[in-house]
Amino acid sequence: MNVGEKERETVNLAGMLENGPACETKTLGNYLWDDLPDPNKWADCVHCGMCLEACPTYQETGEEQHSPRGRVYLIKAVAEGKLDINEAFAKPIFDCLDCRACETACPADVQVGGLIEEARGQIRQAMPLTGLKGAVSKTFLNGIFPNKKRMNRLAGFMRFYQNSGLQTVARKTGVLNVMPRHLKDMESILPEAGKPVLARYPEVVPAEGETKGRVGMLTGCVMDVMFSDVNEATIRVLNRNGYEVGLPKQQTCCGALHIHAGDRKTGKELAKQNIEAFKDYDKVIVNAAGCGCALQEYDELFRNDPEMLPLAKEFSEKVEDVSKFLYENDFERPKSEINTKVTYHDACHLAHGQGVRFEPRQLLKEIPGVELVELPDADRCCGSAGIYNLTHPEMAGKLLDRKIDDIPENVEMISMGNPGCMLQIAMGVQKHGRSEKVVHTVQLLDWAYEKDKEQGLS
Amino acid sequence: MIVSDIENILPKEQIKENKEQDHLLGNSGVQIIEAYSEEDISKVLAYAYENEKTVNVISGGTKRGYGGEIEKADILLSLANYKGIVEHSVGDLTMTVRPGTTLKEIADELALKGQSVALDPPWPEMATIGGIISANDSGPKRLLYGSARDLVIGLRVVYADGRVIRTGGKVVKNVAGYDMNKLFIGAMGTLGVISEITIKLRPLPKYEGLSLLHFPDGNGQPIRDFSVSLLDSMMEPVTLELLSPSLAEKLTGKSSYTLAISFEDRENAVIAQEKWVRENLPAGVELTVLHQEEAKKWWEDFRRIGPNGYNDEMNEGTTLAALKIGSNNLDVLDVLQTAELLAETHHVAMEGHGGLGHGISRVYIKGQQENTAAFIHALRGKAEEKHGYVVCTHLPFKLREAVNVWGERPTYFALLEGIKKVNDPKRILNRKRFVGGI
Amino acid sequence: MRKLMDIVGESEVLYKREDLIAYECDGYTMYKGMPRAVVFVQSTQQVSEVVKCLNKEEVPYIARGAGTGLSGGATPLGGEVIISMVKMKRMLHLDLENRKAVVEPGFINLKLTQSISDKGYYYAPDPSSQYACTIGGNVAENSGGAHCLKYGVTTNHILGLEIVLPSGEIVEIGKEGIPDQPGYDLLGLLTGSEGTLGIVTKVTVKVLKNPEGKKTVLAYFDEIDDASQAVSDIIAAGIIPAALEMMDDVAIEGVESAAYPVGHPRDIAAFLLIEVDGIVAGIDDQIEEILTVCKQNNVREVKVAKNEAERALWWANRKMGFGAMGAISPDYLVQDGVIPRTRLPEVLAKIKEIGKKYNLRIANIFHAGDGNLHPLILYDASVPGESERAAKAGSECLKVCADAGGSITGEHGVGIEKAAEMRFIFTDEEIAAQTNIREVFNPKDLLNPGKLFPQPGRCVEVKRAGQNEMQPVP
Repeated sequence: MNVGEKERETVNLAGMLENGPACETKTLGNYLWDDLPDPNKWADCVHCGMCLEACPTYQETGEEQHSPRGRVYLIKAVAEGKLDINEAFAKPIFDCLDCRACETACPADVQVGGLIEEARGQIRQAMPLTGLKGAVSKTFLNGIFPNKKRMNRLAGFMRFYQNSGLQTVARKTGVLNVMPRHLKDMESILPEAGKPVLARYPEVVPAEGETKGRVGMLTGCVMDVMFSDVNEATIRVLNRNGYEVGLPKQQTCCGALHIHAGDRKTGKELAKQNIEAFKDYDKVIVNAAGCGCALQEYDELFRNDPEMLPLAKEFSEKVEDVSKFLYENDFERPKSEINTKVTYHDACHLAHGQGVRFEPRQLLKEIPGVELVELPDADRCCGSAGIYNLTHPEMAGKLLDRKIDDIPENVEMISMGNPGCMLQIAMGVQKHGRSEKVVHTVQLLDWAYEKDKEQGLS
Repeated sequence: MIVSDIENILPKEQIKENKEQDHLLGNSGVQIIEAYSEEDISKVLAYAYENEKTVNVISGGTKRGYGGEIEKADILLSLANYKGIVEHSVGDLTMTVRPGTTLKEIADELALKGQSVALDPPWPEMATIGGIISANDSGPKRLLYGSARDLVIGLRVVYADGRVIRTGGKVVKNVAGYDMNKLFIGAMGTLGVISEITIKLRPLPKYEGLSLLHFPDGNGQPIRDFSVSLLDSMMEPVTLELLSPSLAEKLTGKSSYTLAISFEDRENAVIAQEKWVRENLPAGVELTVLHQEEAKKWWEDFRRIGPNGYNDEMNEGTTLAALKIGSNNLDVLDVLQTAELLAETHHVAMEGHGGLGHGISRVYIKGQQENTAAFIHALRGKAEEKHGYVVCTHLPFKLREAVNVWGERPTYFALLEGIKKVNDPKRILNRKRFVGGI
Repeated sequence: MRKLMDIVGESEVLYKREDLIAYECDGYTMYKGMPRAVVFVQSTQQVSEVVKCLNKEEVPYIARGAGTGLSGGATPLGGEVIISMVKMKRMLHLDLENRKAVVEPGFINLKLTQSISDKGYYYAPDPSSQYACTIGGNVAENSGGAHCLKYGVTTNHILGLEIVLPSGEIVEIGKEGIPDQPGYDLLGLLTGSEGTLGIVTKVTVKVLKNPEGKKTVLAYFDEIDDASQAVSDIIAAGIIPAALEMMDDVAIEGVESAAYPVGHPRDIAAFLLIEVDGIVAGIDDQIEEILTVCKQNNVREVKVAKNEAERALWWANRKMGFGAMGAISPDYLVQDGVIPRTRLPEVLAKIKEIGKKYNLRIANIFHAGDGNLHPLILYDASVPGESERAAKAGSECLKVCADAGGSITGEHGVGIEKAAEMRFIFTDEEIAAQTNIREVFNPKDLLNPGKLFPQPGRCVEVKRAGQNEMQPVP
């Protein structure tokens, strides 16, 4: 680019910054579609490189374009008209785990995750997915996650599959060998699917004893289907602590996976529905870190929508992770001992996304008999990252191997706060022939309370 | 006429014909020229360069026996009278000094302001800062304070053709351009004549103590174990110098392997560290503790061992030699023990010491020339087995023909030669004084 | 390209424009240039073969680590092949008894300390970028850090190097890390040569035992002169702190708006962060003396860190300082001048004037104990002319340092950025003395060309190269 061009570009950029948020008719360099990325986000990046070693994909590849700083640079280069939106640009942007570890490392608070999501939005509009990848992505994202019935049906199928003995047959006969390797790995750790809470529970579950407060709860998609027991435990724990738990039936998928995948349109539709569903609640409790983070960033999603923005902001401020909520509201300390050695894995969207690290650890430590052993690099992504382990099995597999390698000897349980991580790490545990039990932090608390009950201590 | 040529450049009083017989240590010159300024040095070198005269450089003369295969160069350039501290910036902890200043003169001057140069090579009354840096000489305290390469921050150097080049600067941190200072440290004056040195200083310690640990005869293992545990502790010894029994006898009256452990700090901190030593003292080890003036006095005596360029005996049966041995830190014990054994088999008298935390040992030999040569050869063989080296820092000129002072050329010798060629293409400076005949 | 792929494998060569553009610059963003390709090497042998190949084809090349350098040392001027060392990141040997470790050049600085900290050891040089920067890069730049006041810079901690010369020859210097090996001190020469003499493929470093105790003091001053005077007085009192850092009001605004706010008062002129370490029994005395010195110099408030968490926060706030400027300014230019520390007050005043003259805000975050200044010139590259003003202001800051008897760079290196300013401190003859040495190692000047030394008209050339479109990939 010669000097003249550069100046024109920068003038244009300066203008954009002055005129406030870009409206939908504007373009920015080679970003030509709706919902433009936010130039203020890359303006904060001074290319210092502090993020490099925090980034799992950079650690694996050592390639600058697969680092946070490099991705931001690329995104900026498109805005400056130096790069086009094409496959080669899309790859590093979609190879990002969106784990937000870089945001923790960044001295200037650059919102890399938001920027990546915005860029993905542009890419998906510029070059819609086709072929097998498109089909898989579509099935999962648009076909299943936001569709309660299908999700339930999937769960039902899974229950059937698991209960009927078909699973055993499939595993024995090698039918599974026709499945791609990573899907096979996934299959082998599918938890015993229970019945989703949202379908079974009343809209309001009353508190145990005196009612201290009233909270709404997002049941989530994967969580409710695969880990309905975690949802049950969450409700019990909240009830036990004196909270009435609301489960509005209109609630839907949080949209995180869609936003991560660049489908911001669907993301927004889902967001609107959730905002509406929880409008009567002052507090929305989430036990899935990925969902919680997405809900907390609805304001980012509607950055360019002046009408929705205030509503989204109001909603986002109501959202809180269950561990943080319990800790900050002086949760009831269980009296019974759960004698076990536990390690704690930081879900990216809890530690980096929501800054929640201390509370879940503290929660565990305050359960009598629980010995918490720190996991080295606890906040490095396990590779799950939404459906990253389906779309990028190789990278996800490498990260999982590292995660499992790091797990200290002699722990009995690995605790965490996100269903994606639970599935992924359970898969790792099995693949590496280990025996640790994968649990949600709230479950441990729940078991302690249950024990209290059995022993008449409550 | 040569003399008249140079006489046109410098006053007559500064030039004299060398009427001496061959010097025992060589490194002499047909003409002896005294420099009083950087300009003098520059003029002499420009003249020598122009006329392709070889130049040896000297000031205190303590390192005259260190390398050199030419008995007499055309010119022996003396810097002994180019001395004095140019600038001492107390608040900056830096000093700029001329090369002919002795270490003692510097130390006395700096002590008035409570500071010092953290170098403790032998013979401070005679050795000049220019020589110490050119030969990269050091003492036991390099363990904590480092050596010349850690302290010199700037130089003025007169190149072979008389150009004056500044390297580094006057500030303690500086990465502008190549770190050229390093090239001249330990280069034995083969790349240029150092005409001014800027060096980092330290505050004088508030308190100092010396613990002398006399280990019983025989087994070296307790020495090693104790040293490892001290190094692995959080104590901060300034020295961890092991003395051979012969040297220990001279300095402490006790003929046993002795560790000299210095602490320099606030009084409380010195006492606390000495307590650690006492509490961790291995069985059977005798401990002597000296403080302040007593400790200083001990180190002063320590620095008066070995040859100094003037204390050689003319008798070939009692030839003096000094060796610098580099090894892995903890191999120092092995170096000294090996030297002790070899001294016996080669019928030479040996005194030695070495730092278990810094890997440099010094061995002093007295004996028949051929025995000395054989001893050095044998010790070098042993040292090289463990990837170490032996350099002869003092040998009579004659013996330097028989014994390779620097050992074999390194594999990257071409680079050294290349650097020499760039700085001194006519090879006039201290010719054949350095590695591989540079 | 094909030949390179034959050496390292197809997947280890980047050549597509989209993959290369992120390599346009390192931590110094003012100049940019496209590389011809990026080659990832995994062994000394590969480096040697790659170098031989490029040498034969007469293609210029650059070794690059993490790319966190602040002077453009790893930035192509246009058309160089980048040899990325990041995949050579193993620790090869650790010998704590002899206090040394051997690592490959891509090993991360902080990881070195982390991997030996359980045994109570650490690696002393701690540049602020230590979370990401590589030891190889540290060697090239002779990196410093906050704690080099007492412990020295990289060159004081390097015991041995294996390098690949521009001829492709593999050379080992400082074998086994044994000190003072006969010959010119090539270790010293190579350290800080900014990748122009050879490519480092193995590094033997010295490791140190953790100090027994450590105490950290934070002192707030209303006048910058008082803070400066306190710095000199502490040193004059015979104390050598492990670190003695200063940050001024603009810098405080930045760090307090960023990721690690400490809650520094916003209305002070400067604070000092002072750390003393060593034998526990000797520390309290020194802290007392430091407190006294601060009080004598009109300190507003002075406090000692209560616990490790507080100390860590103070340091995180300091170490993230540069990046934190992103929070108050879209771009910054950091300078790295050094002055005799006794001249701090006058030089800081002059820097302030320079800021006024160019109408740019200048933040100061620096190693006061070493006299190593880091004026951070805040600007907005999207405002026409502001980059140029910032560059001029930066150069003037360096002139002030040079005129005060100092240097233009204390730890960041010359790179592209300060090549012209080398003339502030060296004559042409002195520069030639250095380039002559380069020719011994790098006769064709293919290895990191155009860095470190001024060349006639170089400034203009660099700018042009920076703006060039990339060269076509062969």
